[in-house]
Amino acid sequence: MTTYIFRRLLTVIPTLLGVLLAVFLMVRLAPGDPAQLLAGEFATPEALAEIRKRFGLDQAWHVQLGLYLANVVQGDLGESVRTRKPVSYELATYFPNTLRLTLGAMLVALLVGIPAGIIAALRPGTIFDLLAMLGALIGVSMPVFWFGLMAILIFAVGLGWFPVAGTGSLWHLVLPAITLSTGTTAILARMTRSAMLEVLSQDYIRTARAKGLPGRVVVFKHALRNALIPVVTVAGLQFGTLLEGAVITETVFAWPGIGQLLVGSILARDYPVVQGAVLLIAVAFILINLVVDLLYGAIDPRIRYE
Amino acid sequence: MRTKLLALLALVLALPIALGQGRTLIIAQGTDPTTLDAPLATDSPSATVVNHVVETLFEYTPDGKIQPLLVERYSFSSDRKTLTLYLRKGIKFHDGTDFNAEAVKFNLERLISQELASAFAFLLRGRVTAFEVVDSHTLRLRMPEPFAPVLAHLTHSSTGIQSPTAIRRLGVGYRDNPVGTGPYKFDRWQKGQFVELVRNEDYWGRKPAIERLRFLAVPEAATRMALVETGQAHVAVRVPPQDVQRLNARPEIEVVTTPSVRTIFFYFNQSKKPFDDIRVRKAINHAINKEEIVKFVLGGFGRVSDAPISPGIFGYTKVGSYEYNPNLARQLLAQAGYTAQNPLRITIHSPNGRYLQDIRVTEAVQSQLRAVGVQAQIQTLEWGAYLAATNQPRERNEIQMAMLGWGTVTGDADYGLYGLFHSSQQAPNGFNRGFYANPRLDRVLEQARVATNPQARQQLYRTAMQIIYNDVPWVFLHSEQQVTAIRREVQGFVVHPTERLIASGASFRTSAER
Repeated sequence: MTTYIFRRLLTVIPTLLGVLLAVFLMVRLAPGDPAQLLAGEFATPEALAEIRKRFGLDQAWHVQLGLYLANVVQGDLGESVRTRKPVSYELATYFPNTLRLTLGAMLVALLVGIPAGIIAALRPGTIFDLLAMLGALIGVSMPVFWFGLMAILIFAVGLGWFPVAGTGSLWHLVLPAITLSTGTTAILARMTRSAMLEVLSQDYIRTARAKGLPGRVVVFKHALRNALIPVVTVAGLQFGTLLEGAVITETVFAWPGIGQLLVGSILARDYPVVQGAVLLIAVAFILINLVVDLLYGAIDPRIRYE
Repeated sequence: MRTKLLALLALVLALPIALGQGRTLIIAQGTDPTTLDAPLATDSPSATVVNHVVETLFEYTPDGKIQPLLVERYSFSSDRKTLTLYLRKGIKFHDGTDFNAEAVKFNLERLISQELASAFAFLLRGRVTAFEVVDSHTLRLRMPEPFAPVLAHLTHSSTGIQSPTAIRRLGVGYRDNPVGTGPYKFDRWQKGQFVELVRNEDYWGRKPAIERLRFLAVPEAATRMALVETGQAHVAVRVPPQDVQRLNARPEIEVVTTPSVRTIFFYFNQSKKPFDDIRVRKAINHAINKEEIVKFVLGGFGRVSDAPISPGIFGYTKVGSYEYNPNLARQLLAQAGYTAQNPLRITIHSPNGRYLQDIRVTEAVQSQLRAVGVQAQIQTLEWGAYLAATNQPRERNEIQMAMLGWGTVTGDADYGLYGLFHSSQQAPNGFNRGFYANPRLDRVLEQARVATNPQARQQLYRTAMQIIYNDVPWVFLHSEQQVTAIRREVQGFVVHPTERLIASGASFRTSAER
């Protein structure tokens, strides 16, 4: 298993290199100039030249890329053009907030989505099933933006139960986490339902029932555990999507996460921050995938890592 | 265990409530400041925060006057090439060091230095070439030639005087720990969330009534409005026009409108067809109903431009506005050779989301132009790409007509006219992006720059604006108004025409006053 993890980690290097190269080129291919955006619509050419020089943007692409890679290897992600602070400092400031929001949303999704899927699968065609699947349909199709604003309007402005925006306490996390979780909750509910339905029709479930096991044991030990593999895969992928997809939720709730940082940096063509943030998200995504792969073994002992 | 948990939960719940009360004024801005180092702050949210901590030598008052702030008095030499500043005595920076001539010299030299690469270096670079310390509180600024707007430029937030000791000691860290002489001291900055300032108990001027200021970063307008509605913020900027009525209906909130020095216009690219023909430029101006745009598209939150700069700026005089006259527009177009059989086809470039209702304004213009037979296509680009496209040199510039906005933030017409209309400032060297040139105007603008007498300058700018008006380099649209929601328990809060917020004079009303 250790060798497996080690080998997996080795394959990360070319992936990250590819990610870096792609994002490096993409930000530079997009029209727009970081110096111009920093200095405003009416900056003097002299000021622009100075800013470009200050951040090495006046050099040829390949030179910039070489310098950048050399610095990254040494752990230096560069300096933000906008704030003139180290990129690593910016990421360390914003990423923990995103992580908290994502974990909160994932928790909501798991606690709501999986039970809803199980109930729907156990009572197919009933009103439970119908309600759960209708809820899932609404959850996937509803714009997060609208849901977030409605949540603020009802629960913060109208009822006054939660703060409107910002961070600070666990209480601040509730509305954004629920808002962010809607899509994932819905997907997990549908996934769990279909996986459960498939497993429940298997012979070994009939056998388990026939030998007189209590329903609880059949559902949770025999059925759910087997149904979890695809659910865990999807949950892992969703976790990655939540990490990068939190930007709308972050904007609505003034939540200072990596999504806001990334969008702000893209709009300002703050190349070093965009590169650093994408790199960080890529690393997080890869690690989550690794964890998911390792989880398979825990769920299904037949799976072995070689 | 359970009681402990409950107590903890209660504490967590009470926290936001406790933070919202007390003696803190909470202001919801659109974005987090990017930096708090005065010469590097280029956006209004940054400048707003910086201005409470760091003061400038002169101030541009909300009613449009330029007056001494950190300077007690000043004098110009007879040839106007030397400005002597007599600084106020007995002022200390927040770190306890002295505010003196050396500190001013340090800051102004830093602003124009190459290694800082400030976008605002041009305010003084090349115009003031030497800073001489005469004694501890007297400083001489030497200029190679008279530069009349120098006092106006010294009101700009980038020329703020910060503690040299703190700048040297903190290095890069200074950018999020500013030290000035202002009424508020920097306390903390939770990145992406808020900046908090605390009252400077040793302030040399009138001490503020409110102990703490908190500037929240809330990008989504609806969320800002919800904050002010629930009382979780006292002030929210940029109220969307459609929310004004609803907020005004609430007894605890007042929606305040303040004119901005930002002028919105379309410029014509005069270097190519069809806008090299003045008849076409005039026709477009006559075809656009600016009053209707302000009334219906901006919800009344604007002022139809009657000059290239807005009132409240030194040098402003009303020069008029091209009246809405579609018939005249059609005649002018016909004279220029455009008829129903051979209609004028143009592309209008417009930003989307940069200025108040920008794309809606462009769409209104498009439909008004259609009424006089002009077929206009709208092209929008993301802001970064937009700036790049409008700043191309003449040969590669594809723009025909494009919307831009300009804020004369120094309060002096030179800043609003020279860079935009002088022929030496054609893109990409300057801000004259329509390649407009008139030698007579160039001379007038140059004279106004070096003229010593304010009345003479005023007269020169009147002439300059008349020339500009006659040459029609722009569609003169409107100046924006800033719409701010303020809770009624707050009084004395100022929204400055340069789009900064000033809370130093604000106070909470007692319940009896409300």
